[in-house]
Amino acid sequence: MKTFRLWLNRLLRGRAVTRMLERMGVQPRQYWLLTDLFGELAERREMLGNLGTNKSALKMNAWILGIMTGFMALVMSLAGVAGAISLTLYFTIFAGLTALLMMGMLFSETGNSLVNPAEGLTLAHQPINGATYTAAKLTHLARIVLFLTPALNGIPAFCGLLLHAPWYYPFLHLAATITLSMVIALFCCAVFGWLIRFIPARRLKTAGQVAEIFPWTMFAFVQNSQRLFRNVHLTKWLPAAAGARWGLAMGLLAFSVWAVLAGLRNLSGDYLVRISAILHGPSGAKSKVRRSRTSDLVARVFGGPSSRAGFEFLSRMIRRDWQFRRQLLPLLPSVGALLAISWRHLPSSPFSREFTGAHVVPHFFGMILFVICPLIVYGSDFKGTWLFLLAPAGAFRGFTRGLYAFLWLRLVVTPHLILLALAMWAWGPVEGLLYAAYSLAAASVYLGLEIRLIEGVPFSRQPQPTRQNFLLPLMILGGMVMAIAVAVQYYVIFRYTIAVPAATVVFGIAAWLITRRSLDTVETNIRYDLNQISNEGRVMFSEIES
Amino acid sequence: MRLSDAIVQFDRVVFGYNYVEVLHEISFSLNRGEVVGLLGPNGAGKSTSIKLMAGILSPGGGAITVTGLPLPERAIDVKQRIGYVPETAVLFDSLTGQEFLELSGRLHSVEEDLLQSRIQSILETFSLLSDRSSRLDSYSKGMRQKILIGAALLHNPELILLDEPLSGLDVNAAIMIKDLIAALAAAGKTILYSSHVLDVVEKVCNRVIIIHQGKMIADGTSESLKASTQESTLEDVFRNLTNSASVDPGVARIVAALGV
Repeated sequence: MKTFRLWLNRLLRGRAVTRMLERMGVQPRQYWLLTDLFGELAERREMLGNLGTNKSALKMNAWILGIMTGFMALVMSLAGVAGAISLTLYFTIFAGLTALLMMGMLFSETGNSLVNPAEGLTLAHQPINGATYTAAKLTHLARIVLFLTPALNGIPAFCGLLLHAPWYYPFLHLAATITLSMVIALFCCAVFGWLIRFIPARRLKTAGQVAEIFPWTMFAFVQNSQRLFRNVHLTKWLPAAAGARWGLAMGLLAFSVWAVLAGLRNLSGDYLVRISAILHGPSGAKSKVRRSRTSDLVARVFGGPSSRAGFEFLSRMIRRDWQFRRQLLPLLPSVGALLAISWRHLPSSPFSREFTGAHVVPHFFGMILFVICPLIVYGSDFKGTWLFLLAPAGAFRGFTRGLYAFLWLRLVVTPHLILLALAMWAWGPVEGLLYAAYSLAAASVYLGLEIRLIEGVPFSRQPQPTRQNFLLPLMILGGMVMAIAVAVQYYVIFRYTIAVPAATVVFGIAAWLITRRSLDTVETNIRYDLNQISNEGRVMFSEIES
Repeated sequence: MRLSDAIVQFDRVVFGYNYVEVLHEISFSLNRGEVVGLLGPNGAGKSTSIKLMAGILSPGGGAITVTGLPLPERAIDVKQRIGYVPETAVLFDSLTGQEFLELSGRLHSVEEDLLQSRIQSILETFSLLSDRSSRLDSYSKGMRQKILIGAALLHNPELILLDEPLSGLDVNAAIMIKDLIAALAAAGKTILYSSHVLDVVEKVCNRVIIIHQGKMIADGTSESLKASTQESTLEDVFRNLTNSASVDPGVARIVAALGV
C-alpha cells in the first residue's frame, strides 16, 4: 500500500500532471505546497472542517455508508433473484442514492472551502493566483469522491452479479458512479464559481448557506416532481418533431457544459483579493442595543446575571454563527415539508381516532432538538472561548440554566403558543388546550433529555465531520423510541380524553426531574471542557518530531 | 519628486466596507528608499490603505500602482515584490516557526539553499533558534510577531509594509527592529511603517503621513509638520491635527461609571 502511495505521489507530481496544471493556469509548485499544507493542517487538527482532508472522518463515513448500502444491495439482489427488481432499476437506485448523498456532501464541502476561507486570510498577501489556491482548496473534493463512491457502491456493484449481470458489471457500475460523482463535484464547484462571480463578496457567506440547502430542496422537489409535471403538461411545450427534440436536448447539454466550464473559470479570478471581504463582510444590518424583557425574566427566574448571559449568548450566536447556521440550514426543507404535512392534516383532531400529523408533532420537537443540541458546541468563533476561562466557577450553574431557558422558551414554548392558537381554532378550546399542553410536556421531556448532548462550552469547537457518525446509533435508537411513543399515543392516550391530562402531568413531572439532572450534567460538561481547553496550553508546548 | 522614484502611487483612492466609505480620495506616493510613517487614530483607514497596497483589498475608485504595476490587475506580481506584516498575527498555529518560514519563502519561490540560510539567520537574529521546532500556538505574542517580520523579509522584497510591527515585542527586539528598518532603508528598500507609537515613528521615519477619518490631513517630514503646526513634538502635532484633547473626557466618564 505504501509503495503504491509513493508511486501515485510520484506520478501526480510528475511532468504530465505538471503540464496539465500549467495549462489550466495553476502554478504546480505552489499547488503542491498548498495541498501539502492543507493536509498537514488537517493532520495536526488545526483545520478539521473539511471532510476530504480528515482521514478518520473519511474512513468512518466510508464504513457506515458501505455497511448501509451493502445491506441494501443484499436485500435488493435477493429480491432481484426472485424477479422483483430488474438490473436497470437496481443500478438506477444506487446511482440515484450516490448522486443524492454526494450532492449533499459536496455542496456543503465546497461551500465551506470557498466561502469560509479562514486559511485564505493568512495567505492573502502571498503571490498565489486564484486558480492555484482554489484548485488546492478543492482537491479534497476529489478525495471524497474517490474514497466514498467506491465505499457506497463496492458491495452493490458485486451484488449486481446475482441479477444475471455480465461479468464486467461491477467495473461498469463503479466506473459509472465514480464518473457521476466527479460530474457532481464539478457542478458544485461551478455553482460556487457563478456565486463568486455575481454575488458581492460581503454577501457570499449567506449566499453560500442558501446554496447548501439546494440539494435537499431538490430532493423534496424530486419527490413531488411527478405530480408537478403532470399538471404542467410539459410535452405541450416541446416541439413535435423528433429531430427538433434531439436538437433541443443537445442544445441544453451544450449549455450545461458551458455553464459548468464557465463557472469553474470564474473560480480562478481574483479570489484571494476578495478573501478579506468574504470573511469580514458582515450583513450590514446593525443590531439595536436593547434590553430584552425575556432576558429580564430569565435573569429573575433562572438564576441571575449568569443565566441572562447564557440566554443572551445563545440567542445571539445561534442566529449569527455561520458554521452553526450552515449545519442547521439543510434541515429547513425537511422541517418545511413536515410542517406542510401537519398543516394539511390540521382539520382532523388527534382525538378523532384517526391517525393525523398532530400525533407526530410533539416528537418532531424532539427530532429538531436532537439535531440542534449537539451542534451548539461547534462554531466559527471558537477562538473566543478564552473568555469563559476567566469566568468564576459558580457562574456556570446560572449560565447553563440560561442556555436551557433559551432552548425551552424559544424553541418549545413559543411554537406551542402558536400551536395552541391553531389547535383551538381547528378543534375547539378544550381539545386544543389539552393537545397543546400535552405536546408541550412531551417536548419538554425531549429537551430535558437532549440538552445533555451539549458536550461543552457553546460555540467553542471547530465543526468536525465525524460528529454525526457518533450520533447515528443514538439517532436510530431515538427514532425507534419515538415510533413506539407515537403508537402508544395513537392507540392509548388519545383514545381516552382523561388519559391526555394525566399523561401531561406525568410528562411535566418527568420533564422537571430529568431537566434538573441534565442541567447538572451540562454544567459538568462545560467545566470539563474548559479544563481541557486550559490544559491545552501545556500540550501546545510539545515539540513536533522532526 | 521624480516620477521614476515613486514606488507606490495612490491616486484619488476610494474604498468602502458595506457602502460606508472609509477612504475618501486619498492621494500620496512613496519614493524608493524612503521610510514613511503612517499615522492616524483607530479606524482612520491606515490598515485598509496598507491592505490595498498589498493587493489584499480592491479599491472602489481611483488608481493604485506599486512598483510600477497597477492594482488589483497585477496583484500577484506586486505580492511577489512586497513584504507585509499584518496588524494581527494571523498564522497557522499548528505549524512550527521553521515550517511557517519555509512555507512563506517557498510560496515566494526562494531557492531552497538560500531560503534555509535566510531562515537560519532570521531565527538566530530573533533568538528563536531553540524554538524553531515548536508549534506557533506555543509562541508568545512577541515571538509570533518576530516570525511574521521574518516571513515578510525572506524573499528580499522591494517594498516593506509594516502594520504595528513592534506590537508585543520586548525592548531589545524593538530596538533591533528599529535598527533593521534603518539598515533596510539604507539598502534602498522602501518602508511604510504604521504605528501608534509616535516617538518611534519620529525617530525611524523620514516622512510622515497622517490619515484622519479616511482623509489625508498631513504629509511631510516631522520637522516640517512641527513647524507648520507650531508644536514641539509629533504627538502634539497629531493631537492638533486630529482635534484630540490633552485628556479625553471619556476617561472621566469611564471612571464615573465604575464608581471609583
